[in-house]
Amino acid sequence: MTQITTNSSNQDKIRFYNVIVAGAGNGGLVAAATLARKGVKVLLLEQHNLPGGFASSFVRGRFEFETSLHELCSMGTSDEKEGVRRIFEDQLNIEASFIQVPEAYRVIIPEEELDVIIPFGVQEFTDAVEKAVPGSKKSVKNFWQLVEDIHNAIIYVGRSQGKVDRIEMLRNHANFIKTGGYAVDEVLDALKMPLKAQRIVTAYWCYLGIPTSRLSFTIFAGMLRTYIKGGGWVPRYRSHGFTTALDKRIRELGGEIEYNTRIEKILVKDGKITGVGTSKGEIIRTNHVIANISPTAVYNKIIYPQTEVPEIAYKLVNARTHGITLLVVYLGLDKSAEELGITDYSYFIYNKGSSDALYEEGTKELTKSHPAQATVCLNKAIPDCSPPGTSILYITTLFRPETWANVKVEDYFDLKTELATQLIDDFEQATNITIRNSIEEIEVATPITFAHYTKVYNGVIYGYENDVWDSVVNRLQSMNHEKYIDGLEFCGGFAEQGHGYSSSLDSGRLAALVTLQKLIESEEIGEIRK
Amino acid sequence: MRINIKGNIRDILKFTKLIPERIERIQNASSDKITSDPINELAFKLHPDTQHLMISDIFNETKSTKTFKLVPDLDSNTRHVAYFRAGQYLSLKVDVIKGKDTYRITRPYSISSSPFEALKGFYEITIKKTEGGFLSEFAWQNWKVGTKIEASDPQGFFYYDPIRDKPSIIGLGGGSGITPFRSMAREITSGKMNANLTLFYGSSDEEDIIFFEEFSALAKNYPEKLKIINVLSCEIVTLAGCLEGFITADIIQTYADVNESSIFICGPQAMYNFLKTEIDSLNLPTKRIRQEMFGEIKNITQCEGFPLDKAENIYTIKVKMGKQYLEVPANATETVLVALERAKLAPPSRCRSGECGWCRSRLISGDIFISPESDGRRIADKKFGYFHPCSSYPISNLEIEVPTEF
Ligand SMILES: Cc1cc2nc3c(=O)[nH]c(=O)nc-3n(C[C@H](O)[C@H](O)[C@H](O)COP(=O)(O)OP(=O)(O)OC[C@H]3O[C@@H](n4cnc5c(N)ncnc54)[C@H](O)[C@@H]3O)c2cc1C
Ligand code: FES
Repeated sequence: MTQITTNSSNQDKIRFYNVIVAGAGNGGLVAAATLARKGVKVLLLEQHNLPGGFASSFVRGRFEFETSLHELCSMGTSDEKEGVRRIFEDQLNIEASFIQVPEAYRVIIPEEELDVIIPFGVQEFTDAVEKAVPGSKKSVKNFWQLVEDIHNAIIYVGRSQGKVDRIEMLRNHANFIKTGGYAVDEVLDALKMPLKAQRIVTAYWCYLGIPTSRLSFTIFAGMLRTYIKGGGWVPRYRSHGFTTALDKRIRELGGEIEYNTRIEKILVKDGKITGVGTSKGEIIRTNHVIANISPTAVYNKIIYPQTEVPEIAYKLVNARTHGITLLVVYLGLDKSAEELGITDYSYFIYNKGSSDALYEEGTKELTKSHPAQATVCLNKAIPDCSPPGTSILYITTLFRPETWANVKVEDYFDLKTELATQLIDDFEQATNITIRNSIEEIEVATPITFAHYTKVYNGVIYGYENDVWDSVVNRLQSMNHEKYIDGLEFCGGFAEQGHGYSSSLDSGRLAALVTLQKLIESEEIGEIRK
Repeated sequence: MRINIKGNIRDILKFTKLIPERIERIQNASSDKITSDPINELAFKLHPDTQHLMISDIFNETKSTKTFKLVPDLDSNTRHVAYFRAGQYLSLKVDVIKGKDTYRITRPYSISSSPFEALKGFYEITIKKTEGGFLSEFAWQNWKVGTKIEASDPQGFFYYDPIRDKPSIIGLGGGSGITPFRSMAREITSGKMNANLTLFYGSSDEEDIIFFEEFSALAKNYPEKLKIINVLSCEIVTLAGCLEGFITADIIQTYADVNESSIFICGPQAMYNFLKTEIDSLNLPTKRIRQEMFGEIKNITQCEGFPLDKAENIYTIKVKMGKQYLEVPANATETVLVALERAKLAPPSRCRSGECGWCRSRLISGDIFISPESDGRRIADKKFGYFHPCSSYPISNLEIEVPTEF
């Protein structure tokens, strides 16, 4: 056996990086790429053997399934780019293409005899709601006016990086301020929007995972605007396509990535980051960690020693509500969408009208009916995402994580089957489409699956809930006061901007820029790349 | 438009109170630590990183087959064996000692005991000794009661799914490929799995039939749930009820209703090749046929498209693995994974069939040959130069980056 070691392993030498990014989810990947692009010596560590976290894909038989994405917002168009497209195309220049999905959604609420297809475009949206609920037009138009006002204000707040000028806000962004303290329902009621129209307008609530009676209006408005004006987009080759492109870019820019490496400890001394300890038994030095891990896990488990965590950090975590988690049924069907009669890309099927009632159901017993589902037929956006004559459909429903806490291992597989069966039945009933006898591949991912692959706290997919008091706007305004460890930033779904692809991608950029600023201020780095 | 929600002053006041309210809420919140994470605890029970097991019993099945009973190694932190679905496999991680050298390799083995027995605290695996087999020969010589074995969590997708599959299962097994069917048979006959199984089991000789007594007895006691049809390829057949020859479409159709069944196939590579034409002639949709992986392709030179002129070549692979940079030799007819294991690198792997993606590595430069049937890569991985070393053969010098074991 000839085996030449060309470069001895140097196990003993302690490595140092300007920044260590913990976790290669959407946030961590963008953070690492942004820093690498600035010439910062950055190391990205990921416990799984793939980039992406939730943003991934997997293969079963002749199908490659998207793990989590329904549609990516904040892309805008090539002419009118929005945040995510600017990150991908202008700032990072990654090799990934995206395809616009055909319509915003079809919402079906049998109980209220609603079945409406909502197209993209503000005018088209307004017309579709008016057609379904005659007389709603005025309120919907006023709603869009508000949404626009709020958008302008959010841009201002975003740019202020935690330093908002109150006078300027009052003068130029009054509607933002006046709605800022309210939940979606309160504002739509004030607009005198008919209840039925509200159901249609708020159908995306399940992407935010909190009922409209509590959901911050500001946040809902921001999200709806980017979808309806900029469209919903999906990556050409599943999420694994763009996360692998990010991985490639990080390396090209001089960043380093190591997979199968879990950060077990974030080392802190006198309130300052000093390094990390990995599952490989290595200590790596750094003064800056960007955690694509929840503050819940970081403060309660990972910071070492735990005496370095101030009491207020636990309070912050405990004051907030952890978001919901999901169950997804992935189906590889042996007929095309056309043969099956699947006409739409995205279905919201709600067996009850009120989001409160639907959310409540998600906190009850697991085997009870789960009346909210968001279902996507990927071929309606990417016709060749599966072989000719086949199609991919995935059905998603929401749960409070607590519901899964007492599941017994011996019941787990049967439970998956039971829940999947019911979701498939619900889909068939609501749409009159039969899929049951065309199933060639089926996989069911549960909160346990998500915890297994990403190690996320309690299987939570949706970060912290966007209650009015804990909305993204309030978090961004408070972010400078809510940092308890010097050198520690968060990105990803649990960071200030909240969950969802676009938010977590952008959170990586923000965390990288804040860290960069600190590196410059502390003179840890000199010249930076433009 | 200027909106009023509850009145101008109230609205502004509500807004200006948001941050003070936030501060107050945080101040008033509990400062208790969160110490439990029930969902990750459950995930870890189902999918432990490593299962530390110990051989508690060994049964001789045939002259070339043994069953090893595995229980938690109580010297480790493994307290129970992970639950699974009948048909899944374990990837064993073994230090094979040859002379002075130790090679850390993996091998996949279907669990031959049933899920309900895992709840009682054990697995069984049944290994057929292969001529020149690297692990099986080592195991034969060295594995005793008390030997410790590392295993992955249960893996693979060769299991009955009540939503997808017909509850009438036709099993086509060959040689050691009976193992997942034994797991299913036990689960079915104990009433834990709501399906019935008709197993066509091919062996080369009467003496080579694995689990003959067990299947005969189960079939006798549960005629509604289990049928076994032994098919023997030897010259003389003396055992009652056994058929001569190979498993053919005709035989299958004689004993089972193929149109109302799901077919599950598990056996050696040669059996798949033979069965392909037989199964094709049944004209069934893809969803009715599920096939277990068969591991590395042994005679890669017989694969269509393999460059035969390169078969004798030995190439050099430059490997970056963690902080190490190494150069290792590689035969064109052995997988990149085997070359790495021969060089004692112990990269991650599980299925060794191209399917699970656990060995996913980066091809920086050079050419590899992958048989289409064992190319389980994601589309983007193909585009961005990632490959699965377990199903890739070097056909030039290579430069690769391999992840270290978790
Ligand atoms: C999903 C699945 C389930 C399976 N279930 C079963 C089962 O239930 N029962 C069963 O008996 N089998 C099962 N198998 C097959 C099993 O995994 C093994 O392939 C089989 O036991 C043969 O292993 P072996 O090491 O004895 O022989 P081989 O794998 O054929 O050993 C020779 C191999 O070792 C390599 N090698 C030689 N020297 C070295 C060295 N120094 N370092 C590293 N590598 C070297 C050679 O290149 C060659 O590839 C299953 C396979 C799969 C994929
Ligand atoms: S080990 Fe499973 S794909 Fe290589």
